[in-house]
Amino acid sequence: MMERTQSQYDRFSAIFFLIIGGFFALYARSVEIGTWNEPGPGFLPFWAGLTIAIMSIALLLKNIRGKGPVRPSFFPESDSWKRVLTTFLALILYNFIFDFLGFAWTTFFFVGFLVKFIFPQSWARTLVVAASAAIIARLLFINFLETQLPKGFLGF
Amino acid sequence: MDLLSHILLGAQVLFTPINLFFCFIGVLMGTLVGVLPGLGPTAAIALLLPNTFHVPPVTAIIMLSGIYYGAMYGGSTTSILVNIPGEAASVITCLDGYQMAQKGRAGVALGVAAFGSFIAGTISVIGLMLVAPPLAKFALAFGPPEYFSLMLMGIVILIYLASGSILKALVMAVFGLLLGTIGMDSISGTQRLTFGLLELSDGIGLIPAIMGLFGVAEVISNVEKEIKREVIAAKIKNLLPNLQDWKDSFWPMIRGGILGFFIGILPGPAPVISAFSSYAIEKRLSKHPEKFGTGMIQGVAGPESANNAATGGAFIPLFTLGIPANSVIAILLGAFMIHGIQPGPMLISKYPELFWGTIMSMYLGNAMLLVLNLPLIGIWVKVLKVPYPILFPLILLFCLVGVFSLNYSKVEVALMIGFGVFGYLARKFQYEMAPLVLALVIGPMMENSLRLSLVISQGSPMIFLEKPIAAVFIFVSLALLISPFIPWIGRRRKTLQEKVEGEEI
Repeated sequence: MMERTQSQYDRFSAIFFLIIGGFFALYARSVEIGTWNEPGPGFLPFWAGLTIAIMSIALLLKNIRGKGPVRPSFFPESDSWKRVLTTFLALILYNFIFDFLGFAWTTFFFVGFLVKFIFPQSWARTLVVAASAAIIARLLFINFLETQLPKGFLGF
Repeated sequence: MDLLSHILLGAQVLFTPINLFFCFIGVLMGTLVGVLPGLGPTAAIALLLPNTFHVPPVTAIIMLSGIYYGAMYGGSTTSILVNIPGEAASVITCLDGYQMAQKGRAGVALGVAAFGSFIAGTISVIGLMLVAPPLAKFALAFGPPEYFSLMLMGIVILIYLASGSILKALVMAVFGLLLGTIGMDSISGTQRLTFGLLELSDGIGLIPAIMGLFGVAEVISNVEKEIKREVIAAKIKNLLPNLQDWKDSFWPMIRGGILGFFIGILPGPAPVISAFSSYAIEKRLSKHPEKFGTGMIQGVAGPESANNAATGGAFIPLFTLGIPANSVIAILLGAFMIHGIQPGPMLISKYPELFWGTIMSMYLGNAMLLVLNLPLIGIWVKVLKVPYPILFPLILLFCLVGVFSLNYSKVEVALMIGFGVFGYLARKFQYEMAPLVLALVIGPMMENSLRLSLVISQGSPMIFLEKPIAAVFIFVSLALLISPFIPWIGRRRKTLQEKVEGEEI
C-alpha cells in the first residue's frame, strides 16, 4: 500500500478545514454578524470561521514543501478498509431499517452480520451470539428499562 | 461543625435504597468499562445518561460519577493481567504491574492497586470537601469577562497538552466552537445552520457527538485488525499485600493521592498526567530506580493512587465554576443541565444535597470498588477473555440504542455515525479529540459570555484586561500558547505530550 508523509496528511486536512472556515464565515453574513458594540448571532461563527481559515492556511504553508516523517499505510492490513467500510455501512443500514423491521430483528441481523463477516466466526457461534444479543437487548431495553424502541411490522 | 452537618446531610441523601443501588450500578459499570478495551468512561457515561432521566438528579449524578472513578479501578486490572491498559491512565501500570504478574505476584499487584485507589480516593474526597465550598464563594465574584477568560484558559491548557502540533489542536478547538454555534442563538433566537431540523435547534447533541467521536470511532479503529490478547491464566491468589508490601507502597499511595488531587483540578487529561508524574516521582525517590520496570510495587501503588485521586479533583471546576475539566466531566455537566440544574458557584449553596450526597457516594463508592475488585477479580478476568470479534458489535449496539433512546431521533443516530466517521479520520490525520469536545460543550457558554462582555464594555475587548481576574486568565492563556516557542519549555512540553498521548479526555 502507498505510504504517505505527515505533510501530505496535513495538507489534506488543512484544505478541509479551510473550506469549513470559509463556509462558516460566509454563512455568518446571512444571519447578521452585528458590531463589536452589539454582536449578533453571526459574530462568533464569522470570527471563528475566519480564524480557522487563517490557521488552515498556516498549516498548509507549513507543509507545502516539507515532507515530514513517513507515516505507516493508512490501513494497517490490506483488507482493513473492507472491515471499516462494512462496519460503517452496517451502522447506517441499522438506522435506516430498524423502525420498519423492529428493534429485536434488526439487532439480530446487525450483530450476526458483524460477528460473521468482520472477523469471521463459525455459524453456530454467530447464531448464538446474535440471538442472545437480540433477546437480552429486547428484554433489557424494552421490558426492563421501558425504552420506546420500534417494534416493527412484526410486532417485536 | 458546619462540615460535620454537611457530611451528615450527604450521608442522609446517600443511605436510601435507590441511591445505594445506583451507586453500586455506577461503580460496577465503571469497573466493567475500565476492564473492557474499546469502551471508555466517556462513552459509558454518555450511554447510560438517558437511563437516568426517570430518577432524581442526585441519584443520576451519583451513578454517573461512579462510572468515572470506577473505570480507573477497572483499567488497572487489564494493565496488570494482560499488559493492555483498559484506560490510558493505566498505561504506566503495565510497566511494573505486568512484570509483577509474570513473577507470580499478580494478586498482590491487583491488591495494591485497589487499596491504593481506595486510599487516594479518600484523600481526594476530603480535598474536594475542603476546597470546593471556599472556591465556589470566590467564584461568585465572576462576571461574563471572567467566565469567558477562564473558559478560554481551560481550552488553552488542553491545547497545550495536546500530543502533537499546537496549531492542529487549535484548529480542533475552533472547529468545536463553530460546531457549538449550530442551533438557535440564545440571545436573538435566530436559527443557525439547523436546516429546518428540530433536532438541531437545541444545538448539536453532546451525547451523539461523544458517542461518535469516542465510541464508534474507537471501535472502527479496532476493527482494522484483530487484537490478540493473552490473559495470565494462573489462578490469582494472595490479593492481600504483606507487611513489607505495605511498607513499600504506603507512602507512594499517599504521595500519589495528594499529587493526583491537585493535578485533577487542572483542565486536561489529569488521570494520565498524574499517573505518569507519580511514577516519575517514585522512581526519583527510590533507592533502586534501576529496578523500576521489573516489577517494583511502588510503580503500581503510586500511579494507581494518583489516577484515582485525579478523578476526584476533576469535579472541583464542575462543582464550583460549572466548567468541565475534561470530556467525562463535560457529559456530567450535560447531565446536570438535562436534570434542570445549572452548575456554577451557586450549586453548592442551592443544592447542598446534590453536592454532599455525591461526595459521600464517592466515599462509599470507593469502598464498594474495593469489594468488587478484590473478591470478584475472577469475574473480571473472565470478562477480559470475551473475544473482541464478539464484543465490538455489542458495543456498537449500545451506542445505537443509547443515542436513539435520548430523543427517539434517527437524526441524532445519523449524527453519531457522522461524528464516528470524523473521529476515525481525525485520529488517522493525528488530530486530538479533547479540544474539540471541550470547545463544543463550553462553546455556547463562551459565546454568551463574550457577547455579554462586549455589550457591557460597549465593544471594547480591553474589558478582558481591565478586570484583574480575567486579565490573569488571559495572561496564563497567552503564556501557554507562546511558551512552546521558548526552547527549554518546548522540550518539557514534549515530555508531557508523550505522557498524555492517546488519552481519552
